[in-house]
Amino acid sequence: MNKSAKNPMEIHIGVDVGGTFTDFAVSIPGQNRQILHKLASSPDRPDQAIVDGLKEVLATHGLDAGNIVRFGHGTTVGTNALIQRRVGKVAVVTSQGFRDLLEIGRQIRPKVYDIHQDFPKPLVPRWLRYEVPERMRADGVVHKVLDEAAVRRVAEEMAGEEIDCVAVCFLHSHAFPAHEERAAEILRHSLGEDVSVMTSSMVYPEFREYERFSTTVLNAALLTVMGAYLDRLTKSVADLGVVVEPTVSQSGGGLMSAGYSRRYPIRSALSGPAAGVLGAAYRAKATGEANVITLDIGGTSADVSLLADGEASVVHSRRLAGFPLRLPALDVNAVGAGGGSIAWIDRDGLLKVGPDSAGALPGPACYGHGGEAATVTDANVLLGRLPSDSLLDGRMAIRRDLAEAAIDRLAEQLQMSRQVTALGIVQVACATIVKAIRAISVERGHDPADFALFAFGGAGPLHAADVAHELGIKRIFIPPNPGILCAEGLLGSDLVADLVQPSLASFGVEASETLNAARAVLERRADAWFHDENVAPPDQRGAWSVDLRYAGQNFELSIPFDATAFDPAKAAALREAFDAEHERAYGFAQAGESMEIVSMRVKLTGVLSKPPLPKVAGSAPAKPMGSRLVTFAKDEVCETPIYRRDALNSGQNLIGPAVIEQMDSMLLLFPDDRATVDRWGNLVIDLADRGV
Amino acid sequence: MVTLTPIEVELLRNGLTSICDEMFLAIMKSAYSTNIKERHDHSAAIFDAAGRVVVQGESLPLHLASMLGLVEVVLERYGAENIRPGDMFLSNDPFVGRGSHLPDVAILAPVFRDGELVLFVSNIAHHSDIGGMAPGSMAGGMTEIYQEGLRIPPIRIVQDGEILRDVLDLVLLNVRVPRERRGDYMAQIAANRLGTRRLEELFRRWSRDQLVVGCDGIIDAVTRRMRAGIADLPDGEYHFEDVLDDDGMGTTDIPVVVHIRIAGEEIWLDFAGSGAQVKGNMNNSFAGLQASVLFALKVLIDPDGATNHGMLEPVHISAPEASVVNASFPAATAARAQTCQRIIDSILGALASAVPDRVIAASNGANGVATFSGTGPDGRYYLYMETIGGGAGARAYKDGTDGVQVHVTNTSNLPVEALENEYPLLVERYELIDGSGGAGAWRGGLGLRRVYRGLDHTVTFSGQGERAVHPPWGLFGGQPGGTGSIALLHDGGAREGLTIKPASLEVGPDAAVCIETPGAGGYGPPGDRDASSLEEDHRSGKYTADFMRETYGYEGPGG
Repeated sequence: MNKSAKNPMEIHIGVDVGGTFTDFAVSIPGQNRQILHKLASSPDRPDQAIVDGLKEVLATHGLDAGNIVRFGHGTTVGTNALIQRRVGKVAVVTSQGFRDLLEIGRQIRPKVYDIHQDFPKPLVPRWLRYEVPERMRADGVVHKVLDEAAVRRVAEEMAGEEIDCVAVCFLHSHAFPAHEERAAEILRHSLGEDVSVMTSSMVYPEFREYERFSTTVLNAALLTVMGAYLDRLTKSVADLGVVVEPTVSQSGGGLMSAGYSRRYPIRSALSGPAAGVLGAAYRAKATGEANVITLDIGGTSADVSLLADGEASVVHSRRLAGFPLRLPALDVNAVGAGGGSIAWIDRDGLLKVGPDSAGALPGPACYGHGGEAATVTDANVLLGRLPSDSLLDGRMAIRRDLAEAAIDRLAEQLQMSRQVTALGIVQVACATIVKAIRAISVERGHDPADFALFAFGGAGPLHAADVAHELGIKRIFIPPNPGILCAEGLLGSDLVADLVQPSLASFGVEASETLNAARAVLERRADAWFHDENVAPPDQRGAWSVDLRYAGQNFELSIPFDATAFDPAKAAALREAFDAEHERAYGFAQAGESMEIVSMRVKLTGVLSKPPLPKVAGSAPAKPMGSRLVTFAKDEVCETPIYRRDALNSGQNLIGPAVIEQMDSMLLLFPDDRATVDRWGNLVIDLADRGV
Repeated sequence: MVTLTPIEVELLRNGLTSICDEMFLAIMKSAYSTNIKERHDHSAAIFDAAGRVVVQGESLPLHLASMLGLVEVVLERYGAENIRPGDMFLSNDPFVGRGSHLPDVAILAPVFRDGELVLFVSNIAHHSDIGGMAPGSMAGGMTEIYQEGLRIPPIRIVQDGEILRDVLDLVLLNVRVPRERRGDYMAQIAANRLGTRRLEELFRRWSRDQLVVGCDGIIDAVTRRMRAGIADLPDGEYHFEDVLDDDGMGTTDIPVVVHIRIAGEEIWLDFAGSGAQVKGNMNNSFAGLQASVLFALKVLIDPDGATNHGMLEPVHISAPEASVVNASFPAATAARAQTCQRIIDSILGALASAVPDRVIAASNGANGVATFSGTGPDGRYYLYMETIGGGAGARAYKDGTDGVQVHVTNTSNLPVEALENEYPLLVERYELIDGSGGAGAWRGGLGLRRVYRGLDHTVTFSGQGERAVHPPWGLFGGQPGGTGSIALLHDGGAREGLTIKPASLEVGPDAAVCIETPGAGGYGPPGDRDASSLEEDHRSGKYTADFMRETYGYEGPGG
């Protein structure tokens, strides 16, 4: 990592590939310059838009590809392949008696009261799931030795099936991988180089077999898809004269090398929603705001997440295309409340908003593309919160009359006025978002009042104040380009890897030994990763934690704790930290109760040089470009000045009411709220106390 | 009086639901009982001052009914005027506490506002043991509730915010593994405290009168949904009869009979003709009957709606006293879930002609329970109970689900790795039972086989199955699914069949316990099954070539 080389021309590039657009954020720190670029995505061959966009950026701005020192990108190749089930052909070799485990799963149905809904069928059909005699016990004792001849027979049976990848999934392999490794070795030898073989312990060594096997199968299914994609991308990018390899955004935040991504493609499968969070984290960090809740509202959904002390919260359990996935992913909670979400009256007479969305076509009624349903956007038009003539700098006409007709249909049924109905739609949508934020904050022991709200996406800034107010949040940040934050986030990311070492043991006198043993194993693996990813010692970081629980519990709490060598005193300190965290998270602690160590984790970081955020210039205060009537609350309708966002420069102060318009977003400043533009172009809003 | 708009009611409902969800998660993450932490056999609710359930988070059907009567019994016993801030009440009894079986422990807390009792919060959790004759408090072989565990009438467990140590000590002395159970009680009490705190925060936004009116509105909304849903069902009279195998204590072929009348927006369900209360523990309390009826109706008419007191209003349930579906004191009720499952199968069967596209054929009709206890090789006493799914009934347009929990139960299995880490047991097989789904245009789901062995020690095993004799029926020409069984597999190959409800059996390490759960019935005549489904049946190995030939005339791909 040549951090020291201070080439004034050095270029950092972040590319976010979305379903509709591929966004570029290009930073040239030597010139305090940031270039944003957007082009249509090429869903059938996502790398095409990346290469085209890169060519356009280089040509338009006269840049030399050889100066590119970072090429980070976020891709949904894996996600889409799984959703469409267009993946490689996988076979599974598993412990005798457990061939059906991938089909049985947790023996539950998705919803208690829905007898018509099922989880999807496994990616690997029953006839490609093979059993071999072998069995480990929970304590590592070999209960039944691996039948190597049976493994060879399985390899022969598979020969005619044109398998792309074999997943070896044995019980207790997360802690005792010997059987899995030996079986994999035999299979590799028997099947030759055309077939990849991987073990569940290599993909994610944690207990709970169904989730581990499922994760392994998902990874196996993506190997060929992701490999082919990365081959094309790296070659095309290199052909343009770029000397660095593209890096890939991970679900849990941070980047990984193309090589690592080839082996663990599943690690990027949930990176889509993570990108925006990373963008927010990058900006929040620059401004010194450590505790942030992110709010990204688009057309169909609102994505929310939480950053505590600058770190995004991570969960280890998610579903993808209906399958459980147990890998770190940013804790992004998505709910069906976006600009296009449809308002409707349920059979109980109550007003509901979403999860159905009018999407881009026909879109909200006011778009005039034939949509008849009233959406959140239509409500905002009637409230004056969105302009009633056009959006996207005049590129899209707005039909207020159609919005009125759509809302009136609901108002009539509810026997309420048009304005009150419109306000109700926005309130119900916001209540859904508030509930989603409570789930990632209060339900995790955080008080939202201690956080700032970072709002982006097309509709985030418009609803931020309503949401913040409900949650007791006092400050809102809105980045200069709310629609392109994801690509920017890739400029501020480092290489990361999450390693875990299961070490289930009671927390007794021998705790220090257990912890030291786990630490030693992880340190060896950490060294190997730093070596593979080419991270020089000064750029190596490790954040260590220990997963603990009271003996008999089943959910662990991860306690950050860095000790290169544990002794009884350090172990005691770890215990105390756990009791305190249990008290904070669940409202009680059982001090003195026996405890268990479940695993040790380390999050490794290979620090990459990051361009500082460009600073914006100050200038004379901007004047409003007009005004309109805006409904802020039931009895609060104000003539409200309208500002252009790009006319607001650093140091500008505004007192609400105000509407601030920009190409990709609209922003609402409630009466008496104060806004100021900071050095990096963020609009910072301090909310006035509106009472309750 | 204030009025609330439909929008404000929705906003309040949202706020209350969010609090219930938070309570639910808090218990799940900090409790000790496997039933709670892994299988999520717990729920949380908020009540109005009159004791009506306003919202139930993570709605567990069987807990809903227990919630419905909980506040009422506390109010009857203490009187609202004697309930004070900082109180909490504990209850589990099916007869004096409106519970459904003893392991479901309810803890209730009143919530005050300016000195006035305005709401209650409560949660119910299934504890791994509540004392009694057999470990796990779920085993058969008992004839009255005294043997099943500690009966707790609604009594104070917390006063002035302090846990009543005398009461807790008494309870803990009567249950197995008290150290862990203590954690369960603590988790439940902490969740109520959390719920109370959240409601107090909510009071800043809503006036007292708004809350009262809002709770009415939330309950009325559910009533409207139920009424609209019932109105959607064709008026008429319907009837169905199913049969439970036995009670494990000598009574066999116990009828479950339902007569249904639908007229407009209301429905009447009468269970006259159902068997008399039995000696064994298959008896269902009235709360359990209510739960089963509400579950079946909700499945048919409003799967996505909320659950609360409003569901009951247009639903009229009658059943003979001292019957297996409406038991009287001192009936044993631990395995009432078996009967609940059968009540639901029967209601779906009765309404098959009314709404053929919404019902499903008979599911495994059981709530397969396995309980293991003993002193492991390390000298520690342990106790483990789990429930096993089976086949789900075929549907009008697709196959039934294989190996899944059905109806009132949707509790997750315990991962084998978690089980073997915690207990000195080894799971030798966990697989689908080939051939156990009834044939049909759409086939029934397959049952599950789970084989357990005690490692280097003798285990005490109790099991609870059903449909070993009376198989899950098909609909409209679909064939019945496979029956269930419990057996010992002795080393050397001998298979020793057991009854379907063995109680407290000692099994040495040289034998394994094999539980096979029933499959489920098919839907429509086998002759209507499509070619690609037949090929899948064959290629997956779920059916033998002989069966395919005999039942469907299928000769193999392209044959």
